[in-house]
Parts: sequence; structure tokens; C-alpha cells
Amino acid sequence: MEFLYTFPYMGRVPLRDLKKGIDASFREFSFANGEAIETFFDPLLFFMVWFEKLLIGAPWPLMILIFAGLAWLGARSIPIVIGTIASFLAIGWFGMWEDTMATVAIISVATFLCIGLGIPLGILMSRSNRLQSVVTPVLDVMQTIPSFVYLIPVVMLLGIGKVPGLIAVCIYALPPIVRLTNLGIRLVDKEVLEAAEAFGSSYKQKLLDVQIPLALPNIFAGVNQTIMMALAMVVIASMIGVKGLGVPVLRAVSNQYLALGLFNGLAIVALAVIFDRVSQQYGKRLQKHRQGGHGV
Amino acid sequence: MNKFVKGIAVAGLATAMSQGAVAACGDVTIAEMNWASAEFMANVDKIILEEGYGCSVELIPGATLTTFASMDTKGVPDVAPELWTQAVEVPLKAAFAAGTLLSVNPKPIAGAGEGWVVPSYTMANNPELKTVLDIIERPDLFPSKEDPSKGAFVGCPAGWGCQQVNNNLFTAFDMEAKGWVLIDPGSAAGLDGAMAKAVQRGDDYFGYYWSPTAMMGKLNMQMVDFGVPFTEMEHWTNCITQAECADPKQSAWSASEINTIVTDSFVKNNDPKAVAYFTKRVFPAAEMGAMLVYMGDNQAGGEDAAIEFLMEYEDLWTQWVGVQAANLIKKSLN
Repeated sequence: MEFLYTFPYMGRVPLRDLKKGIDASFREFSFANGEAIETFFDPLLFFMVWFEKLLIGAPWPLMILIFAGLAWLGARSIPIVIGTIASFLAIGWFGMWEDTMATVAIISVATFLCIGLGIPLGILMSRSNRLQSVVTPVLDVMQTIPSFVYLIPVVMLLGIGKVPGLIAVCIYALPPIVRLTNLGIRLVDKEVLEAAEAFGSSYKQKLLDVQIPLALPNIFAGVNQTIMMALAMVVIASMIGVKGLGVPVLRAVSNQYLALGLFNGLAIVALAVIFDRVSQQYGKRLQKHRQGGHGV
Repeated sequence: MNKFVKGIAVAGLATAMSQGAVAACGDVTIAEMNWASAEFMANVDKIILEEGYGCSVELIPGATLTTFASMDTKGVPDVAPELWTQAVEVPLKAAFAAGTLLSVNPKPIAGAGEGWVVPSYTMANNPELKTVLDIIERPDLFPSKEDPSKGAFVGCPAGWGCQQVNNNLFTAFDMEAKGWVLIDPGSAAGLDGAMAKAVQRGDDYFGYYWSPTAMMGKLNMQMVDFGVPFTEMEHWTNCITQAECADPKQSAWSASEINTIVTDSFVKNNDPKAVAYFTKRVFPAAEMGAMLVYMGDNQAGGEDAAIEFLMEYEDLWTQWVGVQAANLIKKSLN
């Protein structure tokens, strides 16, 4: 009966040997290929270092003007532009300017990378059910596996710094845009597609002129979620040495400084809200033809 | 009827009194801090207290600064087996004076030390680098990945007492002007990962580490002589270990102070024999080192390592506990 109450398990020694075997083979892999993989990521690293230096080194009124300008271009809405300017002024006033610029640098690179990889992947997934059934479990793993599990091998291969941080952020932030692009395109009304075919559209015309425009609400929901998740990963990225707002938050958590954690946390929230509102407004403007639209 | 009740009452009281003569050990919370030797010690203490003295032990995760703050303000956990006390010297002395915290063991680990380390091959390849003062003149030997024009010095993650010391020594030795950048590894995993990666590739590496640890042994790291003497204790305690240190002076690392700290409520409410155990238990450097290597090689957690220790080093730990407790513990291991 004892058998029923203690799960029969592999045994300490075989399990330990299995784990050590996996570790040893990863160490060999890392030894053999680590340099090559690091060199592969070097251009991306140089770009990120240059971009971060650019944002931190630029005069702050110029940066605020640029952000306000981007907010206006995206949103065409005075309240949002004013909110953007006020948030950045507050961030600077409370001494968080450099950290915020560093975070903006890495998050914008991560976001663009994720969107650039995610939308094509989502489009491909929408074309093929087989691909969807292969990719979906991978996305599930990417979203739920605890970050340090894949960070340990990444740190062993690439060390601590911006590239592992970028990989950590992208692995977590990629799935929403992929899933929602896939969903959005699949949800496009079949009859509309048939009509487009009837009018003689090529595959490219169907994709670019019919499917993507109609899938835009879902795609923009995906962009929004990707941005939110990228910013949520800021603190985990700082646990492997990425500079930015995550570092003071980590200090605050480790030393129990409430105010420090609150200020930097709110700065992260402010960034998220600004990025989100601007991208949402941009998305809405792209779909303006649908509001009050009567066909076409 | 009255006589009967009286009789029962007397009998009950007598039983209670005889039980009271052996004060029960109640619930005990022990801090399990997030590095290997601390996990190992916490688990050894847990097994010995539970099996030998009948306590009910709960392990609470923590780190130097967080655990100390919790003990100081809330009196939880009851025991911190491996508290590196330098970083919290001032508030700790205040607590000692107030009687809320006590040190029951001024040296639970022999041969502990902190400092700045380089791989042995770096020392071998560059024999002219004898002290920290020599090394800091050569940032070109330790290029940072993100800015190869600067040398990389890897400090401590947040929450560790050494983070502030490293920041202040970095300033005191004027390293930024000499072309160094202080890298915050973010976490214990980041620190270990950075060092392991560098040594695996045969790169030169310069950063903080401490002993007793498996990493120092496995990666064959060497502590570097600072080349300057230790500054006065007063300056160390009031400036170098603190965040607001206006003018840190160059200094070697202080001798590491590790204490087993307990709260006064732990001493008052528990079996004095259990408290006395803490005063006696000292891990000599060789045995602690061997256990840490064991933990590394076998990927053993604190609990497995504690069991291995109790099975392998009976001669050592039976000196810390009474005969009765030793027998109970030996029985439980089988």
C-alpha cells in the first residue's frame, strides 16, 4: 500500500546522472559554438549600445520634443501630447531620466523586433493549419516557462548584458502579436475574401489590401499586448544586467525601499501608457474608413 | 466527588510540571538565504532541531539585508544561521544593546572571506599583476563586451551587503577615471553566469566573489591582494558599507564577520538545549568546502546536502549536540 502513497520515482542517482548529462552536453555545445553565436549577435549589440548612448546623450528638451512629435504623429490628439510631455517632465524631475532613456532604447528595439518577426509569422500561421499546430505549443512554452529557465543557457552562451536581455524580452513578448495576427487574419469574413477573388485579386493584393486592413483591430491588440509584456519584462531583464528602470526597482525590492520602487514602477507604467495610447490611436486612424462606413 | 476532582487536578499538575522540566521546543523559523552555504546550513539546523530536539521548523527564504530588516523590525525569522554582519553593523549593535537580537555564534564558518577575484590563468599569464593596484592600471586586459574601450569589473547584485562596498571601493580606487565600468550583474545567477562564462571561454575576468563557495573552487579563482591595508573599522562601518559615503578611502576588504543571530523571543520560548546547539556548531573550512563542492557536483539542494553531511561527518556534528539528540538524529537518518 506504501506504493500508492509515495510516487515511484526514477531514483536519485539516475535522475542526477540524467541532469548532469544534460548540463554537460549543453556545456560542450556552449564551448563549441558560443563564440560564433556571440559574433552573430554583435551587430545587434553595437546597434543597441549606440542607440542607448544616443538617447541618453541627446539634450532632454530635444528628446521631449521628439516624443511629443511622435505622439502627435501617431495620435493627433492634444490631451495625449500634453500627457506625454507632462509624464516625461515628471520622470526627469524625479531623477529617472537616464534610466528611462535606457529602458526606452531597449524596449523600442525589442518591440520593433517582435513586431517585425511576429506579424510575418502570424501571417504564415494563418495560411497553414499544420504550421499553426506546430507553432502554437511553442508559443505556449514561450509565454509560460519561467524566464530564468531559458536565461541560464542564454547567459552561459552570451554572458550578461543587452543581448540576453533582448532575447528574454522578445521570448516573452512575441507570442501575443503572433497569436493575434493569426487570429485576426483567420477571422476575416470568408465572403469578403471571395468577393476579392471574384474581382481578380492576386494573393498579395488579397493579403495587403483586404486581409490585413480587416485584421487591423486584432493586430493592434497584439501590438498593444506586446508592448505591455515587453515593459513587464524590464525588471527580469535587469536581473541579468540590463541597465534601465529595472535596476532601481530591483534595488528597491531587495532593500525594501518603497518610494524608490513606486517611483520607478510608475515611470514604467507611464511609458507603457504612452506607447499604448499612441499606437492605439494610430491604429484607430488607420481604420478610420470603417467608422461610419457604409461598405468598402 | 470533590476529593476525586482534587486528585485528578493534583495528578494533572504533577504531570504538567514533570513535562515542564523538559521545556518543549516549539515553532522555530530559520532564514534560508539565497546562496549555497546558507541553504546548506539552514537545512542542517532544521534537521538537527527537528529530529534531535523535537522543534517544528519552518525555513524562510531571504538574503542578508532583507532577513536582517525583518528580524530587526518584526522578530521573524527566529534564527539567521549565516548573517554577514558587516553591512548591518550599526543597526545590529543597536539591536544587541536593546536586547532584541543576540549573537549566539560569532564564527559559524571558519575560513570565510570576501574580495576581488581573477581566474588563476590570468595571474599566471600576467605575473606583473600582483595586487589590485596593478590590475586597475590595466583595464585593457578585461574589456567590457558592450564598450570594449573600458574594463569590466563585475560587482554584487542588489540586496547583498557587498553591493555598496563595491560601489564605494570603485570610487575610492578611482576606477572610473582609469577606464573601468562597474557592471551590476542583477542577480546571483547573473553573477555566477558571468563568471562561469568568462572562465569557460578562457577570458580574463575581474570581479567580486567570496568563500566558502563551490564556484571559487571549481573555476579555480584566486583572491587578489588589495595592495593597501584595511582602513579603520570606523570608516568601514560608517562609510564604505553605506550608501551615502561622501569620501570613501582605499581599503582592503575587512575580515568577514559572520554570526548566527537569533531573536530574544527564540531564546526565551524554546528548549535551552536547542539554543545551546547553535553556540556549539562550527563548520571548519575544509568540511564546508567539501560540502559545497558536493552540492555543485551533484546538483544537490540544501536538504540533500544536509542529509549527506549528517551521514558522512558524524564525528563532527555529534560534538555539537547532546548524546540523546545525537541518537535520535542518527535513527531518523536510517
